Amino acid sequence: MSLTMLRVTGSGLLLAGFLILPFVLGDYWIYTVTIGFYYAILAASWALLVGYVGRISFAQTAMAGLGGYVSALSVQYIGLPPVFGLLLGVMIAAAIGFAIGWLTLQLHGAYLGLTTIAFAEILRITATAEYNLTEGSRGLQVVPLLENGTRVEYYFLFLMITLACLALMTWLLQSRVGLFFQSIREDEDGAASLGVNVTLWKIMAFAISSAFAGLAGGLQAHFVQLITPSMMSLQEMGLVLAMAVVGGFHNVIFAALGGVGLQVLLEALRELGEWRLVVFGLLTLLILRAAPNGIFGIIFDALAKRLLTKGRDE
Amino acid sequence: MTVEEGELLGLIGPNGSGKTTLLNIVSGYYKADAGTIAYQGRAILGHAPHKLARIGIGRSFQITKIFKRLTVIENMLVAGLSDGKAARAEAQDRAEGLLRDLKLDRLRDERASSLSGGQGKLLEFARIMMLSPKIVLLDEPFGGVHPELKRFMHDRIRKWNAAGTTIILISHDMGSIFDLCERVVTLSYGDIICDGTPEETRNSPAVLDAYLGDHHGSA
Repeated sequence: MSLTMLRVTGSGLLLAGFLILPFVLGDYWIYTVTIGFYYAILAASWALLVGYVGRISFAQTAMAGLGGYVSALSVQYIGLPPVFGLLLGVMIAAAIGFAIGWLTLQLHGAYLGLTTIAFAEILRITATAEYNLTEGSRGLQVVPLLENGTRVEYYFLFLMITLACLALMTWLLQSRVGLFFQSIREDEDGAASLGVNVTLWKIMAFAISSAFAGLAGGLQAHFVQLITPSMMSLQEMGLVLAMAVVGGFHNVIFAALGGVGLQVLLEALRELGEWRLVVFGLLTLLILRAAPNGIFGIIFDALAKRLLTKGRDE
Repeated sequence: MTVEEGELLGLIGPNGSGKTTLLNIVSGYYKADAGTIAYQGRAILGHAPHKLARIGIGRSFQITKIFKRLTVIENMLVAGLSDGKAARAEAQDRAEGLLRDLKLDRLRDERASSLSGGQGKLLEFARIMMLSPKIVLLDEPFGGVHPELKRFMHDRIRKWNAAGTTIILISHDMGSIFDLCERVVTLSYGDIICDGTPEETRNSPAVLDAYLGDHHGSA
């Protein structure tokens, strides 16, 4: 079996598992996994930016919130159909992501991280303060995406969109753009010396990553039918970061699996209350220390190594 | 200072004389306080590094800037695809040809992090040649390189120069400079103190002063 076959088989098995799940799970867990798909897109979009381009951001959930609010408000006040509201949310999130990317071009490491935190907090506080528009912390009622949609219908819709997002990200990362992103992560001066427009691609990376986050946020808002500023909190961002790191943030699919996996774990550990976040924090620390490629990265590497050894023996 | 098309020019000078600074200004990494730079009759001062790379100005760095987590072939493709025009298959063919020429073809799918220092220097050479540059600026390419590999690098530099590529070579390795270059420019504190053949440079009192101090002959 080659590495490609391993990838195809692994993806096929996972897909088959996700297709069967709604027929074996109860309503509550179908709902939980559907929320997991929201986190999967979000964690993958963060991995695209951090794992491939090396640009840190703590504004990913803020971008999701932005996409959610834009979609919800455009449906409520302008009367757009939810699908167009979603698209508008994606476009606004991309535009704001573009602006953040441009404003933070010269910033790196902690300075970049702090700037994105400041931006995320500005968005969250604005959403809280603009009570007349957003109904503040009480939350804004959102029109459902599917009229009288069942949990199973939402599950399959979210699964389909998540797969489409991952396919799009994978295609992008395997194209020349993916090479440019990685060359920027490795060495900006080196990339520029080979003709890569570092400025453009650094900005575009923020815009693309934010667009996916905006889409995830819009979907979530229309699914839960309620959006609150807490969706943009740093605690939520910490959760997304943990999901991507635990899954493996050097691969968008591993990060997405981390999103679904940790969301399920989060619900399974509900009895622990706030302590589950402590468990997640510890788990993230442990993974960062022991397995920087994440759990799924380790599994994949181990299988690939075994395959190669077997191939050599034969 | 003028560099003729097809020339192989040596640029020397003591530490701090401004060699790398000049190279960084020409390749767009530093801004100049004053002056102009013309390339094929076009003013290029202040142009972004990627634009200069695309119009044919390739460069290497004192400390190699290869992309360690990318494979050797991916390193090559970054250069081959950066203009947004070349097809991947075409770039791949060219990359493989260059890797063969530099004896790196068997390392094609290895991560660049697994290369030795010398192989890293060769990969940097190969990546620059992927740009089909008209002028190449080489900053200390022989630092820490095994003598045998150095001979191989000399050979490739001569070959590219013979094919029409203009080369500016910065090196503290005087043997290499005098062996490869027909013209050598010496800098000291940002000024040109000598511009001549290797022989003239060797015998220039100004060059000796710059390297050994004003009183080198007084003892």
